[in-house]
Amino acid sequence: MSSTVMKIENLQAKIGDKQILKGLNLELEAGKVHAIMGPNGAGKSTLSKALVGHYDIEVLGGDITYKGKSIVEMEAEERALEGIFLSFQHPVEIPGVNNAYFLRTALNAKRKHEGKEELNAAEFLRLMRDHLEMLGMKSDMISRSLNEGFSGGEKKRNEILQMLILEPEVIILDEIDSGLDIDALRAVSEGINKMKDGKRTFLVITHYSRILDYIEPDYIHVLKDGKVIKTAGPELVAQLEEHGYDAIEEE
Amino acid sequence: MNLNTLKDLTAQELGSTLGAEKRVGLLEKFTTLGLPHKKTEEYHYFDIDKLLNVAYKTLNYVPKTIEVRDKIIIKDGIVTHAPQGMRVYYEPCEMIDMEHFDALYYLGHILSPRTIKIEIDGDAQVEIEHHYTQSDTLIHYRIVLYNQANRHATVYENFIADDIKNTLVLYGYDMHIAQDSTLRVVKLQSMEDNKYAMVASHKINVAKNANAILKSFDLGGDQALQVLKVELSEYGHVDAGHLLYLNEDSKRGTVSQIVHRGEHSTSKQEAKNILDGHSRGIFDALIRVEHSAKFTKAEQNAKSILLHDKAYMVSKPQLEIYIDELEASHGATTGQLDEKQLFYLQSRGISYVEARKILVIAFANTLIEEVKDTRQQERIKTAFEKVFYKNT
Repeated sequence: MSSTVMKIENLQAKIGDKQILKGLNLELEAGKVHAIMGPNGAGKSTLSKALVGHYDIEVLGGDITYKGKSIVEMEAEERALEGIFLSFQHPVEIPGVNNAYFLRTALNAKRKHEGKEELNAAEFLRLMRDHLEMLGMKSDMISRSLNEGFSGGEKKRNEILQMLILEPEVIILDEIDSGLDIDALRAVSEGINKMKDGKRTFLVITHYSRILDYIEPDYIHVLKDGKVIKTAGPELVAQLEEHGYDAIEEE
Repeated sequence: MNLNTLKDLTAQELGSTLGAEKRVGLLEKFTTLGLPHKKTEEYHYFDIDKLLNVAYKTLNYVPKTIEVRDKIIIKDGIVTHAPQGMRVYYEPCEMIDMEHFDALYYLGHILSPRTIKIEIDGDAQVEIEHHYTQSDTLIHYRIVLYNQANRHATVYENFIADDIKNTLVLYGYDMHIAQDSTLRVVKLQSMEDNKYAMVASHKINVAKNANAILKSFDLGGDQALQVLKVELSEYGHVDAGHLLYLNEDSKRGTVSQIVHRGEHSTSKQEAKNILDGHSRGIFDALIRVEHSAKFTKAEQNAKSILLHDKAYMVSKPQLEIYIDELEASHGATTGQLDEKQLFYLQSRGISYVEARKILVIAFANTLIEEVKDTRQQERIKTAFEKVFYKNT
């Protein structure tokens, strides 16, 4: 690959007593959309958690380098500040934390990290307005408690809103399409496509090919039993649709 | 004065020791209940023995000329300032509750025969600042507070201590919330450095159709207990909220009895407790519904978060019910900060310390946001953050 932004080498990781990732290798090319597909239990969500430093994951071996630097020992917030973003499959609800306050705190933490001035409330709201409109989010959603009482679609839109505001460089989308109706899927995809500028890298984790109709991938990686067993171009999607994961042999 | 020496005295001996021979009823009540000690139910989780067994200096309570100020200031038990035109004066208390469960309520009245009377006019908002300046001293005073019928008044209560040490404050209110009125009392008490310890023993009468809204924000360290008895008449309502955020070796909390006497009376009591360090929080709260209180509603809830493995919460919500015609519920939960929530915030670049702060404040926010005055709300949040950053 021409320019690798993230490299995962021989990654082995467990959750509790169970080893899930068993020597996973993957390179993410800067500015490209990578899709990870695979059957249930293959390790897709474990991979996404390992990349952002989730407390559930214990890395047993191997390495993850981001822009040439190992991030395995980095705290979750450091990885986020460096530009790695995970859109959660099931975003948590946090009653009592105002959504706008949370978003502004996160943005200002990043701006501070980058040596930029923090935004005040008015500046922040101006920044938000356009994003909200594009995502079809009601303005009252930012004055509500973070994700509390949000529908599945609203939670996913809120994840994309965070992505648009924080402008990360590597964006991991874990089952972003699950629980979305067609309108929500279209709005979420539009938000994602807006971020596709040839510089940002996407890792789209999905069970189904539906989301890939909206976000065109450059590479498809098939994950099975804790390893990437095949990497190919977007044409692989049709093959998977027709023959399923069982037909894919390890390369 | 060492209060522990009063322990085994008869009513007569106590009267002559304290120069209060004529207050026979109070002396008998006090000796019947006995000076609190560690086996006294209400004080079981509070280090009362240690506080009472100290030789304190005593003060002479000589009333001073009250100067005009935008708030009431009570300095070492003497009123020094009050807003223009507000009726603040000294007088014996005529309506002492002769069925209070707390011995220190009676001791307070015996020690402080002339109470500070405050009459709140109309829909006033009044700030009461308690100011303590003496070390190693027993400071005792009582306040009788009246509001007017059909009016909606608010009292903000704050506490300030100079650079003092080891003082014990015994004070409390006898509040009379008039018919068809609302009295909102918001207490903010931030304590540190063992400047003073406190037992505040209150009695609140809620008349027919009246509302008592009692919000206490007890923050920081040290030793303090608020002992509360509320009596509800017909259609009377109390909404009590208690926020406790403790650190270090603090022992603080609320011991309360809400007594439903009148039909259709309602009560809601909510405690939120956040405990750090080796602190101990106390929420020992009884709601009693008497035979006369048909068709009442009573709701009681305590939620606690322990931020340290040595922190300890005593949650004892209790219902005592003598009738069938009512709605009542109570519950208590104790847990830790949710690690999924913590991780979610960190995954957006928010530091561990800030993420904890956000979650701790979020837990407390439902009570803080019930304080409608934004200036007072900010004051509470600032005090809250001060405690938080001291811990980190």
